[in-house]
Amino acid sequence: MEEQGKLNVTEDVTEAFAQELLNEFPSASVEVRENKLGRKRVWIRVDRKEYKALMRHLRSLDPEAHYSIGIEQDMGDHLGFTSHLLLTWRGEALSVLVEVKAPKDDPRIDDISEIFPIALQFEREGMEMVGIDFEGAPDKRRLFLPEDFPEGIYPLRLDDKGVSEDMVKNAGHPYYLKGGSKR
Amino acid sequence: MTEKVEYWVKIPFGPIHPGLEEPEKFILTLDGERIINVDVKLGYNLRGIQWIGLRRNYVQIMYLAERMCGICSFSHNHTYTRAVEEAAGIEVPERAEYIRVIVGELERIHSHLLNLGVLAHDIGYDTVLHLTWLAREKVMDTLEAVSGNRVNYSMVTIGGVRRDIDEKRKRIILDAMKYYREVLPQMEDFFLQDPTIEARFRDVAVINRRVAVEQGAVGPTGRGSGLKDDARWSERLGVYPDLGIKPVMPQDVTGERPHGDVFDRAAVRIGEIKQSIELIEHALDQMPDGKIKVFAKDNILVAKLRNLVDGEGIGRYEAPRGELVHYVRGKKGSDKPPRWKPREPTFPNLFAVAKGVIGDQLADFVVAVASIDPCLSCTDRVAVMEDRGRKRVLTERDLIKASIKKTREINPDIRGDPTPVGLGCSR
Repeated sequence: MEEQGKLNVTEDVTEAFAQELLNEFPSASVEVRENKLGRKRVWIRVDRKEYKALMRHLRSLDPEAHYSIGIEQDMGDHLGFTSHLLLTWRGEALSVLVEVKAPKDDPRIDDISEIFPIALQFEREGMEMVGIDFEGAPDKRRLFLPEDFPEGIYPLRLDDKGVSEDMVKNAGHPYYLKGGSKR
Repeated sequence: MTEKVEYWVKIPFGPIHPGLEEPEKFILTLDGERIINVDVKLGYNLRGIQWIGLRRNYVQIMYLAERMCGICSFSHNHTYTRAVEEAAGIEVPERAEYIRVIVGELERIHSHLLNLGVLAHDIGYDTVLHLTWLAREKVMDTLEAVSGNRVNYSMVTIGGVRRDIDEKRKRIILDAMKYYREVLPQMEDFFLQDPTIEARFRDVAVINRRVAVEQGAVGPTGRGSGLKDDARWSERLGVYPDLGIKPVMPQDVTGERPHGDVFDRAAVRIGEIKQSIELIEHALDQMPDGKIKVFAKDNILVAKLRNLVDGEGIGRYEAPRGELVHYVRGKKGSDKPPRWKPREPTFPNLFAVAKGVIGDQLADFVVAVASIDPCLSCTDRVAVMEDRGRKRVLTERDLIKASIKKTREINPDIRGDPTPVGLGCSR
């Protein structure tokens, strides 16, 4: 995953950015991947202890960095939260993804809404959909789910805390597939 | 001298309100007519799309994504496809890239014309509504001729496009572009010169640059506030760089610095319609011959993706309303992605406009919300009904029963069997 040796081969802005970030946060895993269109993305995996500091560092690189999406997901024994940022660095628009994980029995991740205010809304979604606890979030109300939705059920969890079969009301639908990707 | 007493009133605006196009709820704190604070509550249109997505394979999600929204159906389908292509490492033929540009820009024209009409309608200027929507019919007909449908075009597939644009369709598109070149000066006239429009749109719901950055405003909303970004441009997506894509800023259209108000957002849309016409004409001109898709049949595609997708992919595209992002994570050996998440451009824009209207008059709220072109398509068709103090959840079957009952009440002599017909629909 860590391609420290490889990063110096071609000198371009994305690779240089990855290298500098690695110097700043040696414990993070930084990977540059290119798709078939030639678009490079920087995938950063960071420990939750360093997550907030890393986000603050990214914001200081570009004060107008654009926070586009926060993706909450169930990764088996962990809950993950990935953010996509669009940073302008040395005149180049970089696509940066930051992934942070928390174990399911202690799903605490630092809230970053003081760095990127819009992140709060994605965190609210993360709290209700998979049950990540964003420590210090100023607003922990539900965003999408109705008020009478049962507590402790997280619709996008793939384990037994997800929506159970008896909660599904449209079970007579011909295209309803039981179990989903758990199967 | 008496002490000034302020009365703050909290009123709900929505979920169902004649001024709003779709169900969304705002709780407005008012001081007289002035808006003090706005709280946004979403989820009135929650259909559980992501949850349904957990139970579908890659090809089925393509159609599911398309049905999230009728207006930007191409954008969702296209962005999802890009995400899967990135995760699977599929290269798209060049001709398919050009066809994607053409359909995408046709969609942008129809979406922007729709929004301009809605804006005019919200200030009571219905003449302009009818004129813009009349002009919109031409592009809808063109899309129907090209893809077979007015909405939900199903043009894109993973690894290319479904239908080719032949000489006949090319001529139809060029005719439509000729029509828009004639009509557009008229639109510019009434949106940029008309004193009524200027009085209602100028300096209303100002989203300043700082708020736009903080709330991550995208698309015409972000550009109207002076943020120079366009996902097609910053992503260097497909063949867009060859076609000379550039973000349209309000100063390019109005000649003034960006104000970040409703007027600038409308001006950006006018500029983008013009840009789309040019892009379509260039694309039709430069389009090379060749294959339009990598995999000939969908069953081959499903089988291949099972082994090809391993890891994550991100798709970014500039939908008519702004930057659209889809994320897909796949697992080798499974044809269902464990995670698929779309983020619609309205999501950040809605929070940006909620900050922008603070200090404005209540009467401007409707046009402020319409100016970001809201599109709240999100997640099980469920209706909750109060039944003598008890809450009851109505499912699809119940709703059909209720509507049959109501039809019989209105017209007891109705003939014909109301049981739904169709393969496998065992209601």
